[in-house]
Amino acid sequence: MGWQFFFDPEVLRQMVFVATPLVLAAQGELLIQRSGILNVSIEGMMALGAVVGFLVAYVTGAKLFGLVAAALAAAILGLVLGYAAITLHAPQLTIGLALFILGTGLSSLLYRMVIGLRFLPPMIATFPAVEVPVLSELPIVGRWLFRVPAPSYVVIGVVAIMHLFLFHTTIGLRVRATGENPRCADSLGIPVTRLRYACLMIGGMLIGVAGALLPMMLTGTYSEGMVGGRGWISLMLVILGRWVPFGTLMGAWLFGYVDALQYRLGLTIQTVPPQFMLMLPYVFVVLVAIRAYRGAQAPQALLKPYDREARA
Amino acid sequence: MYVAALAAALAINTLVIAILRHDPWVAYKTALNDSLGSIGGFAQTLNRMTPLLLVAITFSLSRQVGLANIGMDGQIYVGGVLATGIGLSLAPAGLPAWQMVPLVLAGGAMAGAAFVLIAGVLRAAWGVSEIFTTVMLNFVAAYLVEFLCTGPWNDPTAGEAITYPIPRTAALPMLITRGGAHTGVLLACAVAVLTWGLLYRTVPGYEMRAVGANARAALIAGIGVTRVQLIALTLGGGLSGLAGAIEVAGVHERLLVGLTPGYGFMGILVAVLARYHPLVLIPVSFAFAVLVAGSDSLQRTVGFPASAVFLVQALVVIVIMVVEALRARRERYVI
Repeated sequence: MGWQFFFDPEVLRQMVFVATPLVLAAQGELLIQRSGILNVSIEGMMALGAVVGFLVAYVTGAKLFGLVAAALAAAILGLVLGYAAITLHAPQLTIGLALFILGTGLSSLLYRMVIGLRFLPPMIATFPAVEVPVLSELPIVGRWLFRVPAPSYVVIGVVAIMHLFLFHTTIGLRVRATGENPRCADSLGIPVTRLRYACLMIGGMLIGVAGALLPMMLTGTYSEGMVGGRGWISLMLVILGRWVPFGTLMGAWLFGYVDALQYRLGLTIQTVPPQFMLMLPYVFVVLVAIRAYRGAQAPQALLKPYDREARA
Repeated sequence: MYVAALAAALAINTLVIAILRHDPWVAYKTALNDSLGSIGGFAQTLNRMTPLLLVAITFSLSRQVGLANIGMDGQIYVGGVLATGIGLSLAPAGLPAWQMVPLVLAGGAMAGAAFVLIAGVLRAAWGVSEIFTTVMLNFVAAYLVEFLCTGPWNDPTAGEAITYPIPRTAALPMLITRGGAHTGVLLACAVAVLTWGLLYRTVPGYEMRAVGANARAALIAGIGVTRVQLIALTLGGGLSGLAGAIEVAGVHERLLVGLTPGYGFMGILVAVLARYHPLVLIPVSFAFAVLVAGSDSLQRTVGFPASAVFLVQALVVIVIMVVEALRARRERYVI
């Protein structure tokens, strides 16, 4: 087992593939946090997105409808968080945790109500891998970066758009100002409340779509607990990526690499029980978190509700 | 306000039962009978209350010092693991029950405390958010339990992912023999009262609350913030580990994959509703235990999914929090 094992093109392809939902969920959370709201219900939003996306895609037969429905469902959870945290100044952490639990319970309930108990779970077709005509023939990169399903490409586009939006547009600057110092932003006429709601909605949609990608890309079916901590991991990725879109992309790929490697190691080494291989990504992210939190500078107003009428 | 929350939850619940094509009236009657109306049901409720209360104390303790330990499920798991390990390995020694039971429970508590200490040390040394690490360690613990239940400790005659039973001498004494309620609930209530005493009647407890109220002010006042936070976190982890040991020694008498059906997350909701006050936790966790026992009954009769109880509980909490925030806003305009 030499170095080729670790840089196997198939493992690298898997990395891009497995990381896709993480990248998208982390972009959504990044946008929300940049506006000054800490959303800890990502895991619940993803679970809801996964089940709504799967059910709608299964019933209508069109994955696009599933994605739209998943986005809307997660956005509704975001709206509840927004109403409580932005309008009512309720503590974001507790509301977020309650919403996370609500999303988890709601998703398994929805699945049971629509599908019921079945011996064989219903399946939908997953996104097929798309080979980019010329680029997939490139010597080194082509084998792993350009032979993944369509959403993987789209998601990388989302990262680029997010970067351009946050750092090269006026509204992006205003969003960042809102997250750093809402009072100052408000005094300059920036609509803090509206911007925060908008970021929460759009970020929630991205997170919901990320959840829907789990059954649509990875498994083809829904199973309880399928999010498996990916929501919490994307929360950490935002910090690891220092609230910068491309930084979180790198972090997601790092995690995707360990996840892909874990499957490969599990197939190669039969002596280690599979449960220890499955533990590997979680132990790994805990170790990465040590690096992530060193000197991390969160948006200044994160977790602090903005009360326009309070004395400064 | 609480009526509004309960009404909302009840309406959703009824809707779900109706969608599953069952008569809500009959379903509720059975659920009530299986949680409060019969001795067996009441015993089930008490058994459910025990881990809920301990776990809610864990979360409350972490909140009291300004942290959020949400890895109670993992701590229950490792508590159950060490409790089972002690029970299995001491089986040949044939110790009497009065030695065996405390050993098993203490083992569980120590495992839980040691497990949360991983997150605590990462927090103290490198400022890693304990919210994140405790959740990730949940998965590690769950996989560890799955490994033990299917691998080395697996009982091959059982035909499912459970371990060998621990010896009879390690089982908790019964409180209500007919319904199978164990004495763990007394222990949990005693822990709640002790925690209240610690927090509100001792100097270390005062330090904890000071750290939670304003860590910076506490630091300037000469309180070792990190030390206090670590102690509260470890103490809490020990209680969740104890809950795991009680589940093993009192209910299942072995380790199994579904040792906790998400008690950890329910405990968060219990603690939020009780505003992290140890004594208020007792009635609130009892109320939630009624919900869990009732939803178990609904699971058997109308095929309610197990995690649907999360929806009902979370809904109650969210509605109450929103109503309270609305009230706080209205009060401000009065002045």
